[in-house]
Amino acid sequence: MAATGTVSDRAARAAPPRGRLAQGGTRVTLLRLAIIAMVLITWEALAYSGLLYRDVVPRLEVIAAALWTLLIAPDTWRHLGVTGYEIAVGLLIGGVSGLLVGLLLGANRALARAYEAYLYYLGPTPKIIFFPVMIMWFGVGFGSKIAMAAISCFFPIALSTASGMRQIDKVLIRVGKSFRLNAWQMTTKIYLPAMRAPVVNGIRLGLGVALIGALLAETRLSSQGVGYLIIQAYSVFDMPRMYAMLIILFVFAIGANALITKLGGLHRS
Amino acid sequence: MVTAATNLRAEAPRPADAILVVDDVSKRFDTPEGPIVAVDRMSFNVAPGEFLAVIGPSGCGKSTLFNIIGGLVEAYEGRITVAGETIAGPHAAIGMVFQEESTFPWRSVLENVAFPLEVAGVAKAERHDRARHFIKMVGLDGFEKRYPAELSGGMRQRVSMARTLASQPKILLMDEPFAALDEQTRLLLGDKVLQIQQQLKQTTLLITHNITEAVQLADRILVMTYRPGKLKRMVDITLPRPRSSEIVSSEAFGRYVAQIWSDLREEASRGMLDDETHLRASGG
Amino acid sequence: MRASTSFFPCGKDVDGRDEPGHDGVVGRENHMTPPSLRDRVVPAALGLGTIVVAILAVEILIRAGWINGFIVPLPSDVAMSFGKVIAEENILGRFRATFLEAFAAGAMITVVGVLLGLLLYRVALLRAATETWVAALASAPTVLLYPLFLVIFGRSASTIIMMGFVAGLPPVILKTVEGLAGTRAVLINVGRSLKLTPTQQFVKILLPSALPTIFVGIRLGLIFTLINVVGVEFLINFGGLGQLINDLFERYELSETYAAICFVILVSVLFFVITEWIERWLRPAQ
Repeated sequence: MAATGTVSDRAARAAPPRGRLAQGGTRVTLLRLAIIAMVLITWEALAYSGLLYRDVVPRLEVIAAALWTLLIAPDTWRHLGVTGYEIAVGLLIGGVSGLLVGLLLGANRALARAYEAYLYYLGPTPKIIFFPVMIMWFGVGFGSKIAMAAISCFFPIALSTASGMRQIDKVLIRVGKSFRLNAWQMTTKIYLPAMRAPVVNGIRLGLGVALIGALLAETRLSSQGVGYLIIQAYSVFDMPRMYAMLIILFVFAIGANALITKLGGLHRS
Repeated sequence: MVTAATNLRAEAPRPADAILVVDDVSKRFDTPEGPIVAVDRMSFNVAPGEFLAVIGPSGCGKSTLFNIIGGLVEAYEGRITVAGETIAGPHAAIGMVFQEESTFPWRSVLENVAFPLEVAGVAKAERHDRARHFIKMVGLDGFEKRYPAELSGGMRQRVSMARTLASQPKILLMDEPFAALDEQTRLLLGDKVLQIQQQLKQTTLLITHNITEAVQLADRILVMTYRPGKLKRMVDITLPRPRSSEIVSSEAFGRYVAQIWSDLREEASRGMLDDETHLRASGG
Repeated sequence: MRASTSFFPCGKDVDGRDEPGHDGVVGRENHMTPPSLRDRVVPAALGLGTIVVAILAVEILIRAGWINGFIVPLPSDVAMSFGKVIAEENILGRFRATFLEAFAAGAMITVVGVLLGLLLYRVALLRAATETWVAALASAPTVLLYPLFLVIFGRSASTIIMMGFVAGLPPVILKTVEGLAGTRAVLINVGRSLKLTPTQQFVKILLPSALPTIFVGIRLGLIFTLINVVGVEFLINFGGLGQLINDLFERYELSETYAAICFVILVSVLFFVITEWIERWLRPAQ
């Protein structure tokens, strides 16, 4: 067992003793801070030099000011709420249907052979192209954005649930059978716990694409939401405000991702 | 004492006394290359409290036999009876320990071992208590709160074993539980199993390909032929009980091993030849 | 497997392939029948059949007035529009435009991605510091930067290519690092025992060992790139296929819009399938 191993395995096993490891950790942090500092400094230099045309690279203070203005304006939060609502509902609809479909496909081989390929190949298509159809079917308001979020997240959730079910270590299923568990016990004590990681990952992915779906829809045709704010800033060429909105958006996206990871307990297993 | 046997039926014990009766069991698989007979009309009995080891070369159908007795195979010929009852699916009196890693990675050691009691509806405090008893029995006391990922392979197998023992089966059915472990751990765990079996007077059926293990642990050894798996020989092991792993250095032990190896070697060679022919034929 | 009486699976892949046991013994003894022709054809037919039935149902419902024909065009109309779209909308030219954009972005992510992956692998500290950032970037909604890119590059192919580049880069970097780091130590030791120079080690051992994983990364990156290319084309109303959908929709040519969407789906699926074949061809053992 000690003979095998990859380069990274070996490196991990040959890890330096405690003291040096702590040092390694701080070196990493220092490097990260250094990189961030370098980026910010370069940015500021570019902004000052006026090399880039018009205001593509505004000064950092200007961006910070715009960010502050946005954060204290209650209107911003209303828009955030709108987007959040669209994503939440879309994730709920797409997620629940995705889970159910995934469970069905994972459980029944014939069904999977019949339908899963369609999900698999339809998955990696740019869902935004369906937006015109969504507008027609669900109107220009919340409906089409929720629909975009829902169809975006349905695929990754369904596919990862189905494959998660199939990847359950077969021996665990045999253990369940050897203890003569009934269907409900099998589901709650064996299948669901064993599938937790892939399902949570699927939901994380789903959240990511639901976010994109709803936001892109907002940039195209909306009067509310974060996407709308971004495209509005673009249309009046208020670059600092656009950057500020983008910062808020990315923080929101990373936060939501981390939340799901935490809730799903993935960080510890 | 080695009973010369070419027949299908073993002599002792009488079916009426036996707790497990395997009666004329066969299993055939249909493969694209044609039907394969994994188990061919095997019959034998196991007495209560007896330790029977089933040994055979790779590919002889041992694991199939294990799965059939465990009730995990739906279509086979013949009959299996446990304490007089013909089985239909996994029987409550049989506890299975699988070859592969089978601990639940999301449960702690305590929760793993308490699992059968949880399923049976035992209250939390009581089942944890009882689980601790079995955890102690396999020598893992102190590790109750740990998770399988933190344990070594040998320890995980002990958890699986404790879990099965916690369901207090009349018959313990084990499929090469130590196959993935190194020789030394194997010998020591074999000791543990011996202790447990002697303490509980547990009827045990152990499937293995390891001769030393079989002779160390068993009262009788059933030697299987290569596929199609038949009973080749039944060997009574009359080494004194209680035993420990020190027995492996005794003369009598060596004689048994030699005897069984000469039987097995024949079958194992057939297996290897079969593999090679197969590979050549498929243009591998 | 013969029809199981239990609804629950016994843990196999879709086609019932049993993973072999650790020593091959279990696999041989628990011999699973691979799916027969019938087992594969019937479900496939079922899947296809359901779709055909659904389309027919929609057709009938629209004609019967149950579904508003202004919102959902007749499938038969959509089918006929295919021809019109192909003939009148310069499908080939548009396809070429999208393809070139994707190709440019794809070339960039391959070169830059592999080089950066190499860099991260070599400089352990850098890798420790930035790998999680790259991973975060992979799942971040970078496509939402498109208004920013619009400002910088204008409404042009450059915006599209750059968006495709940003989207497809992280997977290439990550998989390159993973592939190189995953080289089995024993192989490196073989090289050392033969006294290979560092360059030789890299070219003869590390790189070949890492290549399959790198290709997986490139494939993933290409998929993200294509998705973003088409998506941004639609959003900024420029380019090839994505723009076509936008155009047709704004002209309120509904059947043609649906047809164009179907067409783009076809292209995307084809692209996905082809890259899968290539990957499988490059990794025969898998």
